[in-house]
Amino acid sequence: MSLKDLISPFYVWQRAFEKPYTQKRPIEDRPGAPRYRGFHMNSEDCIGCGTCESICQNRAIDMVPVEGLEQRPGDSGLRPRFDYGRCCWCALCVDICTTRSLHLSNHYAWVTEDPDAFHFTAGTDPMPWNENSLGYRRDDDYHLLVHDRIEMEMLGPDESVRGFDEVMKGYTEEQAVLEADRCVECGICVATCPAHMSVPDYIRSVRKRDYETGLRLLYETNPFSSTCGRICTHRCETVCVMGYQGDPIAIRFLKRAIVDRVPAERYREILGDDVSDNGRTVGVIGAGPGGMSAAYYLRRLGYGVTVYEAQARAGGMLRYGVPSYRLPDDQLDKDIDYIRSLGVEVRFNTLVGRDVTFQSLLDTHDAVFLAVGLNQPSALRINGEEHPRVLSGLKVLDDVANGLDPGIGRKVAVIGGGNVAMDAARVSRRMGAEVTVLYRRRIEDMPADPDEIHESQAEGCTLVAQAIPVEIKPAASEAQVTIVWGEAEMVADDKGGRPRPVLQEDRMHEETYDCVIAAIGQGGQIDFIPSDYREQIEFKWNKFVPGDYQQTGLAKLFVGGDIANSRADAISAIEDGHHAARGIHRFLGGSADA
Amino acid sequence: MFEPTPQVDLSSGKYLKLWQGPQHPGITGNMALELTTMGDEIVDCKTHVGYLHRGFEKLMERRTFIQNFPIVCRIAVPEPTFNEYLYAAVVEELTGIESPERAEWIRTLNLELMRLASYLMWLGGIGAAFGQGTVYQWTVTHRDYILDLFEEMTGARVYHMYIVPGGVRGRLPEGFEERCNDVLNRVEKLLFDVEKVLFNNFVFKKRTKGLGVIAPEMVDQYGITGPNQRAAGFVRDLRRDAPYLVYDQLEFDVITATESDAYARSWVRYQEMHQGIRMLRQCLERTPREGPFQARMPNVLHWEVPAGETYVKAECTRGEYGYYMVTDGSEYVRRVHVRGPSYTHAIALMEKLAVGTNIADTAGLMVSLHTYPPEIER
Amino acid sequence: MSTATDLLERFGTNYRISEVNEQKADLTFFKVPKDQAVRLLRELRDDAGYTHLAFLTNIDYIERGIFTLNYMLHNYDTRHTLGMHVDLDRDNAEMESIHNMWAQAATYQRELREMYGIRFPGSPRLDDDFCLEGWDQIPPMRKEFDTAAFSLARFYSRDGRGTEDPREHMKQQLYPTHTDDAPEGGN
Repeated sequence: MSLKDLISPFYVWQRAFEKPYTQKRPIEDRPGAPRYRGFHMNSEDCIGCGTCESICQNRAIDMVPVEGLEQRPGDSGLRPRFDYGRCCWCALCVDICTTRSLHLSNHYAWVTEDPDAFHFTAGTDPMPWNENSLGYRRDDDYHLLVHDRIEMEMLGPDESVRGFDEVMKGYTEEQAVLEADRCVECGICVATCPAHMSVPDYIRSVRKRDYETGLRLLYETNPFSSTCGRICTHRCETVCVMGYQGDPIAIRFLKRAIVDRVPAERYREILGDDVSDNGRTVGVIGAGPGGMSAAYYLRRLGYGVTVYEAQARAGGMLRYGVPSYRLPDDQLDKDIDYIRSLGVEVRFNTLVGRDVTFQSLLDTHDAVFLAVGLNQPSALRINGEEHPRVLSGLKVLDDVANGLDPGIGRKVAVIGGGNVAMDAARVSRRMGAEVTVLYRRRIEDMPADPDEIHESQAEGCTLVAQAIPVEIKPAASEAQVTIVWGEAEMVADDKGGRPRPVLQEDRMHEETYDCVIAAIGQGGQIDFIPSDYREQIEFKWNKFVPGDYQQTGLAKLFVGGDIANSRADAISAIEDGHHAARGIHRFLGGSADA
Repeated sequence: MFEPTPQVDLSSGKYLKLWQGPQHPGITGNMALELTTMGDEIVDCKTHVGYLHRGFEKLMERRTFIQNFPIVCRIAVPEPTFNEYLYAAVVEELTGIESPERAEWIRTLNLELMRLASYLMWLGGIGAAFGQGTVYQWTVTHRDYILDLFEEMTGARVYHMYIVPGGVRGRLPEGFEERCNDVLNRVEKLLFDVEKVLFNNFVFKKRTKGLGVIAPEMVDQYGITGPNQRAAGFVRDLRRDAPYLVYDQLEFDVITATESDAYARSWVRYQEMHQGIRMLRQCLERTPREGPFQARMPNVLHWEVPAGETYVKAECTRGEYGYYMVTDGSEYVRRVHVRGPSYTHAIALMEKLAVGTNIADTAGLMVSLHTYPPEIER
Repeated sequence: MSTATDLLERFGTNYRISEVNEQKADLTFFKVPKDQAVRLLRELRDDAGYTHLAFLTNIDYIERGIFTLNYMLHNYDTRHTLGMHVDLDRDNAEMESIHNMWAQAATYQRELREMYGIRFPGSPRLDDDFCLEGWDQIPPMRKEFDTAAFSLARFYSRDGRGTEDPREHMKQQLYPTHTDDAPEGGN
């Protein structure tokens, strides 16, 4: 032992003169670090998607209804409830939160005598830390979800405008799997889909590359999957939780990804064709999406189904209103042919009221489903609109679908802002015309699908918003027509409605075109129903108001589609048809399990 | 080699059966030493574990890959970060995900900070085991300063859950470098004091020199790694021999000794703390301030890892820490095995070294092997 | 020459080596039949420099009825690691003990006995409890042991727990009749 070893420890006595490490009094409040993972907080941005519950490895989270909170499309009305007997404060729930409503506060000490107080609904239960502004938040550059949509290859505008080839090329298998992988499978979208399709389940089947299961899932609620995979209004995507921080899942195109991978000849094998006959028959008026959907589900239940269709081909507005660059004929045929292959009879060129009477349908069938759609173009209600160079959008689309020349000329004005207007404009571009679209409100008010609006602009259509047509006048040449329109200012509505366009009479314009295509809406035509029956049925704004299960006051008559709902899109018509099939089955004594 | 237990006749009255633990028999966590003594000399030692068994390897088989991330840190209480890093690394290797450079630097910073904190706790332990309770108070106080740094960096003091497959969970906080440097300076000053008080202390020297000598030929026979191995003269350190993260860009020395007793092992660790501070200063200076700190990840909610198997290891404070993972292409892992150095240090090696020592030295001997029961039981 | 081909060349004639997988530059897995395993381990340790047994563990392939032992060996000179797989019959799992080759092997074998039920005849204290005291169920690491069912049966659940599925909840609240399993009497 050296002397050094003996005295060395005494060296540290000098520390006695330094500031001690210990603090003089007990620490009363020592706040957690700014990113401390303390107790949970939830903001009002929460929509109850339950993704926090899915990722919680401790099963510490329950999704529970909260009093006073109503569920609505896009919000389940549930909120996460935390069991602090299980939570480990890993904050994966914060990382995965789709709306970024969930946070942890830096509050970490809380004493109470009630053990059940440690089981609470964050954000809605009054907790002492609810106003904390510090605590763990997900870093902006750190993600556990994929926020960007997989882009789909499409024809460029230069190419697309030259013909009627399909613009959207569809996902490759790899793209579809990657896009499907983004889905958190919360199921919030199902309530918003008019047909309540099993969206998370069929997206999972894309991810698993199991297209047979996918097809079966699609047909549970929608026999127009090839069609809807292309032109659906995809209301589901407007509530998709992935849309809060990035792009919503391309739900519509993932539906298409399934049907694109199953050839038509395999449908019967996959979906099963064991259709029995229960001896009863149902008449369906109109072979559009509503009528054919009802026909499909009724046939599956064993009913003999006869569809009466005025046109020469089935599909209704899908055939005659949607141009083939959005929905190729063979894809529509794929859906319709399968329905017909189950034994659904379609009588073409048979207009009810002209070729058969409504009464005879009531007499021959046990029930009738009516889905005649809206095929009467609405009038512009301005002077001079009876000019022969004022064409209806529907007529133009109908002619093109039938291979006829609509005779639009080289310079065209389209009036309207809905999908028919966009279709008429883009069809006109394809026929070589210079196209101006006049719409009375702002572009963001247009009812047309945003994709349609963008693509029509990309293809060279000129969109003029806040333009109100005032008068149609003959032009110098008979082959032309002059339209007078005025600029509009948007004025806030006193009653709280959406802003109203008000004509500015000092800013009027006059322009001459080869034709004016009016596409401001359509109405229905139900004169074929005898008036004493009509008195038993409820109508509003010339549309049917059906009761439960699409039934009318005339018990044997069920209605659906554009003429019976306010949404007027294919997917709503499909659900009406399905729902009416359930209703007819109940009405005729079957169970509701249709 | 396995040596059969000597047969002792307890009824002879010459022997005493003594249980040390399962309360922390040193500062090493709950385990028990079943000692057979003659006088105060130990003639047989059996290690009993199981007091901390939580079945992590089984739990991981029924959780998804992201759900396992928050539980792995709990496998070794004082060193959660090594588990986080190795779990992330093994998943990244099987999925082909590469964590970005900035994350690799931050991870290295984390691991070395963790090593320093863990060594501080150990330093207190070795002091306390030989009657130097003051050293324990000093070092644990300084460990707390490091935990403060972890708190502001990761959001938690002990279970950081910060190194996630794909990168790290967040950037370094504003002004972190300054505060970290300040703590490093304080720790350095403390180490200076500890050297005076502990390593120069003749009581400490007298009790630890010659205690628990590991003969060089035992090293591979017993699977001994880390400072225990380096104190026996082996120049082996995974940070140098199989560099991971950014260790190939850092300057540091591999510390070795030859005496291979409790004092030599302690001295190696003490020197490694200085090396750790040296590396940390390099990390603070060189960690990129810009750029991504997380790789592009798939949706982790249904993350399927391709079928495969691999073994990833790192030099933790106690030696070779490793994760062996077998996957089958599903959303769940087929098998995870966690290799902790204490598995052999605290059982086979301890049972061998304890024989012939006395009761008063067993705690110190065990601390000199730096054992943690949680990584034995997992 | 890669270590994998080197290995095959050197031991391939005397041992039935299969399923060689060069996972990375310093890690190779391979399989060898049970009856040759310990002999090969000894040769790898004594003649090929694989002196370090990092660990010994087991993988349960319940659907194939086998256990696969994995002996992880390391060569400090070449810094190469070998994972040697040995398949065992899952219903009658028994393996030759290597407690005489590495001191820590006995502990691994004791653990495998407890957690999977694999027997290693001759291995010291093999049947002593390792982690589990008073365990009366099947060896818990076997795939058929269901931890969730075990804890539900063994422990009390907290009162007041219960969760709703957002999709199902919205269906009940917003469109109860628009489903094929609609409640009766909705009309």
